[in-house]
Amino acid sequence: MIKVVNALLAILSGVLGALLLYYVLNKVVERLPNKWEDRVKPYVFVGPAVVVIGFFLIYPAIRTVVLSLANSDSTAFVGLKNYTDLLGSSDFVQGALFNTLLWMIVVPAVTVAFGLGVAVLADRLQPRAEKLAKSLIFLPMAISMVGAATIWRFVYEARPAGTPQIGLLNAVLAKFGIDPVAWLQLSQAHVNSLLLMVIMIWAQVGFSMVLLSAAVKGVPDDTIEAGRIDGAGERTIFFRIIVPQIWPTVITVFITVLIGVMKLFDIVYVTTGGNFNTEVIGVRFFTELFTNGDNGYAAAIVVMLMIAIIPVLVYQVRHFRMQEESR
Amino acid sequence: MRGLTVTKVAAVAGSVTLLTTGCLSSGSSSSDAGGGSTSGGAKKTVQIMFGFGGDQTQGFKDSLDPWAKQNGIKIDYVQASSFDTLIRSKVAGNAAPDIALFPQPGLLKDIAGQKKLQPLDDVLDMAKLKASIVPGFLDAAAVDGKTYGVPVSMNIKSLLWYDKASFKKAGYQVPKTIDEMVTLTDKIRATGTTPWCIGLESGAATGWPGTDWIEELVLKQAGPEVYDKWVNHEVKFSDPQIKAAFDTYAKIALTNGNVLGGPKSIVSTAFSTAANPMFKTPPGCYLHKQGNFITQKGFFPEDVRGDIDNKVGVAPFPKGTSDTVEGGGDMAALFTKGDSNVTKVLKYITEDPTFGAAWAGPLDRGFLSPHKDFDVSKYGNETARTIAKIAYTASGIRFDGSDSMPGKVGAGSFWKGMVAYTSGQQDQATTLKQIDDSWPTK
Repeated sequence: MIKVVNALLAILSGVLGALLLYYVLNKVVERLPNKWEDRVKPYVFVGPAVVVIGFFLIYPAIRTVVLSLANSDSTAFVGLKNYTDLLGSSDFVQGALFNTLLWMIVVPAVTVAFGLGVAVLADRLQPRAEKLAKSLIFLPMAISMVGAATIWRFVYEARPAGTPQIGLLNAVLAKFGIDPVAWLQLSQAHVNSLLLMVIMIWAQVGFSMVLLSAAVKGVPDDTIEAGRIDGAGERTIFFRIIVPQIWPTVITVFITVLIGVMKLFDIVYVTTGGNFNTEVIGVRFFTELFTNGDNGYAAAIVVMLMIAIIPVLVYQVRHFRMQEESR
Repeated sequence: MRGLTVTKVAAVAGSVTLLTTGCLSSGSSSSDAGGGSTSGGAKKTVQIMFGFGGDQTQGFKDSLDPWAKQNGIKIDYVQASSFDTLIRSKVAGNAAPDIALFPQPGLLKDIAGQKKLQPLDDVLDMAKLKASIVPGFLDAAAVDGKTYGVPVSMNIKSLLWYDKASFKKAGYQVPKTIDEMVTLTDKIRATGTTPWCIGLESGAATGWPGTDWIEELVLKQAGPEVYDKWVNHEVKFSDPQIKAAFDTYAKIALTNGNVLGGPKSIVSTAFSTAANPMFKTPPGCYLHKQGNFITQKGFFPEDVRGDIDNKVGVAPFPKGTSDTVEGGGDMAALFTKGDSNVTKVLKYITEDPTFGAAWAGPLDRGFLSPHKDFDVSKYGNETARTIAKIAYTASGIRFDGSDSMPGKVGAGSFWKGMVAYTSGQQDQATTLKQIDDSWPTK
């Protein structure tokens, strides 16, 4: 009870406090001579936000970079040893790094493709059927990743042959008298990683569909009609008229999913814990920090991840700006 | 007049901020109890952090609360479901509890090595403890000749479980030696039934029951001296004596027809319910190796558990050259120095052989006292008494080896190695080398 009251108090006073802070700062600035008031005011309003971001985002980021150059308990600097160790171990490069790359290649593309497919096809249904179909596909979005992974663990669950199969896939196999398959152990050709990707795609297609569906509906009918008059088939209309017009949305969805995939942790942690060669960077970071207690390795892994994400972010910001300009 | 308003507003803003900060810190359970520091006084509230949950927490409270009330000390119980993670961040953030019950001496020694824990040699009556506690326990938490942890509870891993009825019906004898165990395994397999139930799956900790098997076999086949050296990496995993343990494990677990579902399904079978096919008719298997915690709720089927003394047979794991048992326990460690009440609590939970009577029975929460002079009639049933006697009469006890190894190995590469080896993803030589290579270099 006391905790609830405390939480409410904290929220209330946090919001009110922020309001008051800005109110007071504003009043103070208004007392300055007019010329100065205009000069100072923008900084007064942006300042606190910059300070907060600096303190909670920039400072920890810099600190992480520093720690990535130090040893496991952060007591002495070791230079680039953490990086060379990690990149020199086949376990990390062929395991976590390669798997993450695989996820980056497969998941965003498939998510966009499925989302687009559903968006375009659902567009042709009766309004009620369209709503129903889209709601069903959107439903997994309401489930947390940990929840989704737990559900799918049951889908892939394997029990010893001869005992009742509670896993969906193996229960189906059992109906046909086929021995159970330990799906999540199928590390040949990364089949198990692909099975885990299904979870992410299942959870993200809804998001992709909603954005792309809105974009598809936003394509002006006259452009499509013009195409039809010129004798274009369905396929040509889709690829030459619709897709180019919704391309900015496609990119946005792709990048959002891509960033999500790069930071991936929960699905793998819940289902296999990184066993059977399904480890990804996020899981490896967690094990290094909390199981192995190695601050240096953990920090180095996140710094590499940060460096890998930066170009994607830069591209997204640029892309966004270009879009704004073209409006 | 405008200036006055501004000042007023500023005053209000300031007081709101003060008010909130005051509130929040009192919310986080008496900030002064967050110990890890030197305090000359006597705290009214002593903070104890531990990793066990559910019934165990209740048992611990039932045992400690009446005493604490009598002595006018309030106990702040901090239950941490991921103890390892939390204690690390608490220590790093200088917010350690007064006393922590470490389930893993490896982690305890890590933190003692960082000079964050108080040595207990001058705090507790070591001579008395040495006489009372099952031999071999106290050495588990020693760093540089000083003791940093003393067990509060004990668990035994060296146990073999079987279904009394089906064992009797088939006319099998409980094996006394490892050779007898292998012979019995072959004999059962030859009848076309499955001898063993084994499960290594345990969520993010998948693999640990496999490390228990290896530890058991090293301890029994090579003896406690080799075991101790192995835990400290003075004997490597690739050493022939350790390889021998892996070979015996392979003979039992990886031979086709020995384990229900075959070797592949071992790693995807949950350790918690792995034994349950044993109680089916016809039995899915005849033997299971697991610690005494399996008698708690949520492991054996409820009807079996309800009649455990009559239905379930338990015996010491067969011996090799040694009969030392493998076990574990929650080791109490001290963060706060020189506080009379904290010391008093620590003394009660570690030195008093009557501590834990309420925890032991009659509910059977799987608690065992590490004191040989603990009154066994306090245990809830015959099964618990049998298990306790196995420990009290053994020539010694060794702490769970993987728990005592550095986290990187004991909770990392060794677990993962057992999974990869058992599922056939890696051969023995690669597995042993990988675990050896992962040992942190100082």
